[in-house]
Amino acid sequence: MRSLIDREPAWCGPAGMIEPGDDAPEFIFTVDGSPRRLSEFRGSPVVVVFHGTHWDPARDEYVDAYNRLVSSLGGVAGARLLEIGGMGPWRDLTFTDAALSLPVVSSADSDIARRYGIGDEPAVFVIDGTGVVRWSQVGPMSLANPVEVARAISAVAAPFVGEPNEYTQQHSAWTRRDFVATTLAAAFALALRPIEARAERAAALAPRSSPTAQRVTLNVNGRDLALDVEPRVTLLDALREYAGLTGTKKGCDHGQCGACTVHVDGRRELSCMTFAVMQEGHRITTIEGLASGERLHPMQQAFITHDGFQCGYCTSGQIMSAVAVLDESWGPGDDDVREAMSGNICRCGAYPGIVAAVQEVRRAQASNGGGHSK
Amino acid sequence: MIDFEYVRVTDIDAAIHAGAVPSTRFVAGGTNLIDLMKLNVERPAHVVDINGLARRDASLAALADLPGGGLRLGALAHMRDVAWDARVRDRYPVVSQSLLLAASGQLRNMATIGGNVLQRTRCPYFRDTAMPCNKREPGSGCSALVGINRTEAVLGTSEHCIATYPGDLAVALVALGATVHVRGPTGTDRTMPFATLHTLPGDHPERETVLKAGELITAIDLSPLAAARRSLYLKVRDRASFAFALASAAVAVELQGRIIKDARVGLGGVAAKPWRSSEAEHALIGKPATEQTFRSAADAALAGARPHRDNGFKVVLAKRTLVRALAEVTA
Repeated sequence: MRSLIDREPAWCGPAGMIEPGDDAPEFIFTVDGSPRRLSEFRGSPVVVVFHGTHWDPARDEYVDAYNRLVSSLGGVAGARLLEIGGMGPWRDLTFTDAALSLPVVSSADSDIARRYGIGDEPAVFVIDGTGVVRWSQVGPMSLANPVEVARAISAVAAPFVGEPNEYTQQHSAWTRRDFVATTLAAAFALALRPIEARAERAAALAPRSSPTAQRVTLNVNGRDLALDVEPRVTLLDALREYAGLTGTKKGCDHGQCGACTVHVDGRRELSCMTFAVMQEGHRITTIEGLASGERLHPMQQAFITHDGFQCGYCTSGQIMSAVAVLDESWGPGDDDVREAMSGNICRCGAYPGIVAAVQEVRRAQASNGGGHSK
Repeated sequence: MIDFEYVRVTDIDAAIHAGAVPSTRFVAGGTNLIDLMKLNVERPAHVVDINGLARRDASLAALADLPGGGLRLGALAHMRDVAWDARVRDRYPVVSQSLLLAASGQLRNMATIGGNVLQRTRCPYFRDTAMPCNKREPGSGCSALVGINRTEAVLGTSEHCIATYPGDLAVALVALGATVHVRGPTGTDRTMPFATLHTLPGDHPERETVLKAGELITAIDLSPLAAARRSLYLKVRDRASFAFALASAAVAVELQGRIIKDARVGLGGVAAKPWRSSEAEHALIGKPATEQTFRSAADAALAGARPHRDNGFKVVLAKRTLVRALAEVTA
């Protein structure tokens, strides 16, 4: 994510971890291209989110939830999204509002992180309108649950509905700001309902609560990923529901459609027909791991070039299958491609484009001396 | 899917010990078991993962030449590896073809030889827990007898079950007279003709093989067979690829001039178990390789067929499939 710091603020914070009750250390970040100081947002709650540079399987979902949190507030309090930066499966955010600000700060901005006493771990700080940290969660693995964050925001943003706090005691007069804050709190109650319901559902299904859940370490796209899963969790569900890697699709869930195709040790397999616990020690590649940074895999590019999809649901499975097919012993004809790809069903009927895409990449590889494209 | 205990083993005797516990299933590729577990047709309390056995004993997943020209297929070898193996394609083309015409590329990368031959029927009533099925729930009745029975078997059925054995490889193996190696509890090994591995439904359609609890197939041997080099698997299905057989024929023929010196015939998609037709073989051996001979062999093979309401076409289709397979392999 691009840096939010324009220059070093004059004020430097204390050493050690910032905790609730501490003053929030000052820093400068960019809003609409203009440098703004954190202190300029006094009077409004502010949430500062640090995300580590390591991979957090829950980040995609959590950042998405933060995003929805603010966008759902927009109608009432005028919160708006100022910036979506960064690439990858998650969105990096910076947004602010007259009543509520949610600057998201990358830990790559190590000066700010150091000022808050944290390292590379994800962290969330909720700062009240007086500039005091009221709530925080630092590490260890994932970003804070957005529901917890939202509750903390509600507490500091709703002086007349929640428990009395320092903010409400200091600001007892009914001001426009308080009105906004109160409205905000009501809006929160509404906005949070679907998120909380989802979180409660997730909690009800929490794998840790199962006596048969076991820790499994999956190597996915080159990274080790520790998950607590019941034995009955398929690799497909582990990827989608536990690791947040939703590029792999669930079509029939019975090995008949190919939408869930991934590579296991370089071979194409169906992630719906194997249990995650069976995949320890194997190298798993999903559609998310196919591109090299911003550069698409040649097969991905060929599917775009040849219009190898319509609705796109089968596409990640088609592409994973197609990449692996070129490492198998099939002949060069279109019929060979059709036979080799017969485990991937496309309801839109994009087969002509799919065959053309596979053939283009196969021919390109052949003219490059038959090297692998992976 | 109901929850279960998952056990991973690297030692074969530990696997067999664990496998002998009631309500236990071995899992290797998982492509049939996990499918059926999702349908609640299979509801094991314990699942023993045997994929690790090959790490201790690589021969369990390997192909090995046997003295005299045979070939041993390790039970944990994957369908893909056997299908594309140069020795298999050269000496036992019918085995390679039966594998490549089965399942999909992804499934062939996962499924093992041992699991493949033990796959369960695709009878839609067996797979639907809302319907009676004697194979799934003994004594509950056979829905296929009076239901939609287009895909059901016409050979080897009983009044309690008309389910079709769905596999392709096993049809080739039974035709070639393969041998099965089985490891059992107390460390005993036994060997049996592949033809005796599967049982007919009879009064007990819930029993499909002679394997006892905990017994594990360790290897399948292909014996040296001159006819096997001239062998073919022909499969007819509802679509061009990735479908189970409506009818299939595994044929191997040794010719002396145009006279058939030796012949092996297996039929798939039409029988309750992997079906070897000695009647067809008798009708072929010693006869000239002509369409007339093939037709009489096909008539002999299907003489005992008992079609039901929707699957009478299979009798004709199986005959034509066998005639065409024999014509192609002797051409």
